[in-house]
Amino acid sequence: MQIRPILAALRSHKTAVTLLVLEIALTMAILGNLVFIVYGTLQRSRTPTGVAEGQIGLIQSIGVIGEDNPGTVGDNIALLQRVPGVVAATFGGPPLWYDSASNAFLDPDRQHRVARMYEFTGGQGLSRTLGLHLVEGHDLQPEDLPDASQWGSVKEVPALITRALAAKLFPGGRALGQRFYDGTSAVRVQGVVDHLRAEITGRPDDDYSVVIEYRVGAQDMGGGFMIRSEPGRLEPTLLAAAAALQKANPGHVQNKVYTMAELRERYFRSDLATGRMLVAILLILLVVTALGVSGLASFWVQQRRRQIGMRRALGATRGDILRYFQAENFLIVTAGVVLGAVFAFALNLFLMHRFELARLPTGYLAVGALVLWALGQLAVLGPALRAAAVPPVVATRSV
Amino acid sequence: MPGYYLDLALRSLKRTPILAGLMMLAIALGIGASITMLTVLHNLSGNPLPGRSDVLFHPQVDPRPADLPGASDEPPDDLTYIDAVNLYKLGAVPRRAVMSSNWLPTRRDAPGTALAMETDRATTADFFAMFGVPFVYGSAWSAQDDASHAQVVVLSQVLNQKLFGGADSVGKTVVIATKIFRVVGVIGDWNPQPRFYDVDGGAFNDADQMYLPFFTWLDLPQDYGYGPMNCWGNDPNAGEHDPKAPQCTWAQFWVELDTPAQVESYRQALVHYSGQQRQMGRFQRAPNVRLRGLLDWLDAKHVIPVTVRMQTWIAFGVFLICMVNTVGLMVAKFLRKSGEIGVRRALGAARRDVFAQCLIEAGVIGVAGGLFGLPLAWLGLWMVRQQPVSFAASAHLDLAMLGAALALAVVAALGAGAWPAWRASRVAPALQVKSL
Repeated sequence: MQIRPILAALRSHKTAVTLLVLEIALTMAILGNLVFIVYGTLQRSRTPTGVAEGQIGLIQSIGVIGEDNPGTVGDNIALLQRVPGVVAATFGGPPLWYDSASNAFLDPDRQHRVARMYEFTGGQGLSRTLGLHLVEGHDLQPEDLPDASQWGSVKEVPALITRALAAKLFPGGRALGQRFYDGTSAVRVQGVVDHLRAEITGRPDDDYSVVIEYRVGAQDMGGGFMIRSEPGRLEPTLLAAAAALQKANPGHVQNKVYTMAELRERYFRSDLATGRMLVAILLILLVVTALGVSGLASFWVQQRRRQIGMRRALGATRGDILRYFQAENFLIVTAGVVLGAVFAFALNLFLMHRFELARLPTGYLAVGALVLWALGQLAVLGPALRAAAVPPVVATRSV
Repeated sequence: MPGYYLDLALRSLKRTPILAGLMMLAIALGIGASITMLTVLHNLSGNPLPGRSDVLFHPQVDPRPADLPGASDEPPDDLTYIDAVNLYKLGAVPRRAVMSSNWLPTRRDAPGTALAMETDRATTADFFAMFGVPFVYGSAWSAQDDASHAQVVVLSQVLNQKLFGGADSVGKTVVIATKIFRVVGVIGDWNPQPRFYDVDGGAFNDADQMYLPFFTWLDLPQDYGYGPMNCWGNDPNAGEHDPKAPQCTWAQFWVELDTPAQVESYRQALVHYSGQQRQMGRFQRAPNVRLRGLLDWLDAKHVIPVTVRMQTWIAFGVFLICMVNTVGLMVAKFLRKSGEIGVRRALGAARRDVFAQCLIEAGVIGVAGGLFGLPLAWLGLWMVRQQPVSFAASAHLDLAMLGAALALAVVAALGAGAWPAWRASRVAPALQVKSL
């Protein structure tokens, strides 16, 4: 296959070739960035929170001040633990659900904020209910827990922190036994867990979390109650637990009963919806580009019928003609892809500036190039086959 | 002559149905995608209260400490309790409303009825008249009710349906946070988008289910939150059970000012108030006030979701690609007619005539592409409405956008056709005629 005659032929169609290259380059620029955005969303929606997601359910039971309510938090936790199928239960909320962020300081005067962290605060058994993986130190011990009557006014609390937060607060050193400060009290690191993400935004501080337990008992508090069920039995167990909790607390309003999977679905709902719209736009883009390529290709085939006939008459096989058009398309798409890579980075810079998008990794451009090469070959196949079918006798006819 | 060119254009398109179809499809897809996103953007950035937006203003004052790390110049969006009460009493204005929101356990005032959490807006009497809220039954409460902390409530139609089956419930009672409230009115379907009066509480959220007098609401148990509360200092939860915490802002405030003179004197009143508070030692900063009109406020808050803005840009990228594509196809299409054009030129047609003929052909393609694009845009908007996002429900095609779509299609096709047509008109007649 000789490239030179193809280039010579393309030179006499400068306008059309330029437009085609431009179109492919623009497609490439948008394609690369869109795939990057969509794939990023998808990846984010699959990032684990670090808790036993398949087994955790939430019951939001809101206390109504002024309504008679015999239940206490301690009773409620005990009651939930007695529900068949419940492995652990506590008072407190799971990740991806109204998580409160707070500031972490290393100095007691709280002058220099070191990190922004998520505080998981709840009753005894919070870390066990979440099913966290301890990698260092030991779990919170019941006898160390501050009493819930001191909620918010304790001088120092024992806590578990994530490995990411430990590395941020105490770089290089051992975090165990160390102290840091949140808005109201000192926090003593009792253990380190591998991951606990309150939110999944893609930023590293998603995984900056601290777990604090209080000993709850005689209080009548509403809020989130959480259960961890035996594997595979979450839904029936959660329903039974919710029913039992409502029965024991007639003065509460049970507002939401969610499994962790439902919370995750709600959390990513609008992101995934956006992703779907972007995929729709992507498909339109590819269709339009394919239409453009095949439209111009069929125009060229029609225009060159005589030349094709001559080549056939001079001994070129159908395969030669087919390959000629395929090679021509490959050259044009390649030029488009090269120009498109530049456009893609330019567009990425713009998106980074306006929408805080991350930098486009070059891998996406390789994917974009492969897609466009394949698309180009697919689009040109029809016209090229038609060209290959031109009989040699055409050469002898005048137009 | 244009009639004849139109005839020629239709014949020419019929002769190359595939090429013509591809061009129309490209324009239709481009129009469909960009009009879909433009409509979403148009609806989201629309004026939530046409006719009243000019007289509604959003006052802000700055009670923050002088040294607050990372603080911007912009005063907080909302007011602290003290400022809310003070500004509510500040100066004579035609109308003003202070407000916030939370959710409250609510049930009918009948034994054995189930409690449910319902969203509410706590506000003052002028809210309804100031924002033009339509009433189905009854009316708003009075300023007297505000002053006397009356236990009255205005229900949304949805909640009235849920509690009273949609009947006229004025005079009936409901139990809200264990207190008995008398229904004074039921409002019709009202949820301006964006929900300008409480942007931080969700610019495209559902409307609140009921409306309570602000000062009555403050008497209720302090356990259900205070709107989009924001506290400076180290304890972000300082105001959780204490709405009067001096470092927490959570009350929205709106005033109606009918003339520029009123606006100016109110602005001065805000500056004067800030100065006074500073003298008293409550404010640490020099008077830093804002008094933005409704539309300026929405602008300043960038309420359009970032994803929508991004998708609009991308949709226009797609549109641009469709145009480049169409230019390419038109070059092919017109050059193919070189022979025909050569004959016309040889028979005396001016370049201008050839140009006009080609442009009319482009225009025909544009109109056809636009017409095909409309159902695609409609389909696109239907798909947007199926999405589980808060702003999706407002995605409808209106007459203005229909017109814009067609106009955009024709302009785009003419734009895409201009250069190919110009090239076609430069065809040298002698060369073409010779080769025939």
